[in-house]
Amino acid sequence: MIIEKGQRVDISQLNDIIIRMEQDICDTLAHRTLSVETVVSALDQLSQKIAFGAYDQKISELSSAHAEEYKEQVVRMMRRENIEYKIKMELGDDLRHAVMTNPPLGQSAIQVRPMPLGVILHIAAGNMDGLPAFSLVEGLLSGNVNILKLPQADNGLSLEIIAGLVEIEPQLSNYIYVFDTPSSDVATIKKLSEMADGIVIWGGEAAVGAVRRMAPPGAKIIEWGHKLSFAYISGYEDEDRELRLLADHIIKTDQVLCSSCQTIFLDTEEMDEVYRFCEKFLPILEGSSQMHASKSLGIRADKTLRRHFENMNRLLTRNKNCSGDCYQGIGCSLSAQTDSAPELSNMFGHVRVKRLPSQHIVSGLRPYKTVLQTAGLICLPEKRDALTDLLLRSGVVRVTRAGTMSALFSGEAHDGDYPMRRYVRITNVE
Amino acid sequence: MADRSILFLKGHPFETSETDDLFLSAMKENCLYQYNHCEAYKNILDGLNLHPDSIKDINHIADIPFLPTLIFKHNRIFSMSRKRMLIRATSSGTRGKRSEIGFELSGLLCGLVMVMKIASWRRILSICPCNYVIFGYKPHRGNRTAVTKTAFGSTFFAPAVRRKYAILFKNGEYETDLENIIEQIVGLSRSVFPMRLMGFPAYTYFALRMMDDKGIRIKLKKGSKIMLGGGWKQHYSEKVDKQTFYQLAERVLGIQDKDIIEFFGAVEHPILYCDCKHHHFHIPRYGRVVIRDVDTLKPLPMGQVGLLNLLTPMVYATPMLSVMTDDLAVLRDGETCACGLKSPYVEIVGRVGLHDIKTCAAGAAELIKEDAL
Ligand SMILES: [Zn+2]
Repeated sequence: MIIEKGQRVDISQLNDIIIRMEQDICDTLAHRTLSVETVVSALDQLSQKIAFGAYDQKISELSSAHAEEYKEQVVRMMRRENIEYKIKMELGDDLRHAVMTNPPLGQSAIQVRPMPLGVILHIAAGNMDGLPAFSLVEGLLSGNVNILKLPQADNGLSLEIIAGLVEIEPQLSNYIYVFDTPSSDVATIKKLSEMADGIVIWGGEAAVGAVRRMAPPGAKIIEWGHKLSFAYISGYEDEDRELRLLADHIIKTDQVLCSSCQTIFLDTEEMDEVYRFCEKFLPILEGSSQMHASKSLGIRADKTLRRHFENMNRLLTRNKNCSGDCYQGIGCSLSAQTDSAPELSNMFGHVRVKRLPSQHIVSGLRPYKTVLQTAGLICLPEKRDALTDLLLRSGVVRVTRAGTMSALFSGEAHDGDYPMRRYVRITNVE
Repeated sequence: MADRSILFLKGHPFETSETDDLFLSAMKENCLYQYNHCEAYKNILDGLNLHPDSIKDINHIADIPFLPTLIFKHNRIFSMSRKRMLIRATSSGTRGKRSEIGFELSGLLCGLVMVMKIASWRRILSICPCNYVIFGYKPHRGNRTAVTKTAFGSTFFAPAVRRKYAILFKNGEYETDLENIIEQIVGLSRSVFPMRLMGFPAYTYFALRMMDDKGIRIKLKKGSKIMLGGGWKQHYSEKVDKQTFYQLAERVLGIQDKDIIEFFGAVEHPILYCDCKHHHFHIPRYGRVVIRDVDTLKPLPMGQVGLLNLLTPMVYATPMLSVMTDDLAVLRDGETCACGLKSPYVEIVGRVGLHDIKTCAAGAAELIKEDAL
């Protein structure tokens, strides 16, 4: 399925469409301008449509157990107030309006005129539900023509939302092309990327690498790669509550998000403290796990089987490279490890616990600077500023409280950047 | 290994409860052998504080460590020297790692007798030559997948006139050519010999559906059969209910329900599960089944859905006397099946599933894929 000029077209007409697109895109670039207000008002209406249940069917099909919560978030995010706030935060005045320079020493002035990049190809490789649509929205808000390649795993929600958006505001149809061609169709993706001024790629290392290989030389590639997050504990403000919130976060996100806690670091040099923490934290994690257990037998069975495999493998390779002491709970587990690397866990209720004394935060985390995202910080109030500073200096881009590691904050950046800033270019006119 | 020999070489294949004592002692024999010959397995038993001697009655066999099939994909675990292993079979993993399992001569002999006994019970043995259409891989050098071997092996149940394969190995890759195989089926249907279609259910189903769409209607010779095995795994979402499949086979090929025979088995558990004429997988004397709770892994009573754990003392070369599959299944009382077998039967109801999970944690997608259960 493809969306071209607001119409759904069968994938069999792919080649004809690609030929037409070149010309249509040139026409749009030459003669049309997409005003921010047009997009904002369409999004605001879309938000109401979602709130009133127009997409409930598709939303309820999502794998996430928290579809309701998800829907509320989307509705809030697309409201006029939030979108306008987002534009103000991300683009500010400088990247929205043309200004004349006023340089020192009597040098000549020139106009600075922000422009959309032009055409953006969004490649979403199976990230979170609905993400492809959000990426496209950012492209629209910055005035670009958008070509979106949907991930294979998309359940049709993105496609419906986008179709709904064009229905609300037909002017947008010149700025939206959607394809669900498979990633293996390199020839098509290559043709699409040749039309683009910028290629936005959401995905893991493999997906990003593949795009880099097929993009035309010199193409502007905007990577939103996969990231790793962790919790850092150095004392407590309210121990019981903070640990319970951390446990809930771990269980509720299944640890599959880039902001999900994979490793818990303790501010200590002693392994004994790590063991004591595991003994204390396991029942808390178990409680969360029982409270938020999936209703699907298949999902529960898969999680159980993964943990059982870990256990058996650990026993089996006992005298070899042991992956640390394992604390097995129902529906969850902890492994106490002697190293200090921020590391992917086995997810689904399995967390690694390690030592990382605060004086080694920067040296310990630096090697992982390209993948670090959120640090959920639990600490004494008087240590918060100093620890936050150390974490940010080490390459972390987001420091939150432990229970809100995956929360959305209006106006926040994405992986250290405001996406829309990367979707515009600064031109000069004498 | 004496008890194993009696279990496999003697008696009727479905004397299951009657052989409980024999099965127990054959399992103990095997467990003790693994304990003494396989360091990895000894580590597991020691780690669980379990000694083979502590397995005292048939219910205790559930205590024997049940290894997930994934273990065999991550580790090469053998309990015999390489030269004593006759075959090393690899599982047909469609992606990622494959498991490698060793079989010794005596175990294979047990397996062969088992297969012959079950085949003759299900009346698959025939001296009348057949044309074979195989919805599976054509064997070639370097292809050691067990599915290929069993599919090829079972073409000897009745002498083969011709063998045609739906999955071919071309330029280093597997290719499916259903269009071609459909032409072959139509051509071979004019032969004087009966036809046997065998292999992966999913491919067989796709081919039948294509034939149905083309309006092809054939009446195959008497004695023709469809034999399904190898699982629906690659195309799980396309899984059809069996009734639809039987109707399709009758409409397109004129093959009746009773001539459709389904098998299941895995490299990690080489017991041949063959359905009865009412299409139920009764447990043969060569194996036992434990269904485990999806949260606690504790054994469940009959009638409850859980993870399928399969047990057999057949093989010594690899410690796979108790393996955990990734199937969700339920056990039913044998008496409820009209075929007359008393042994309980297994119904596969689904697979563990995180297959569509979406993730943006670094490395997670790769981890989930690699360990696709
Ligand atoms: Zn029966």
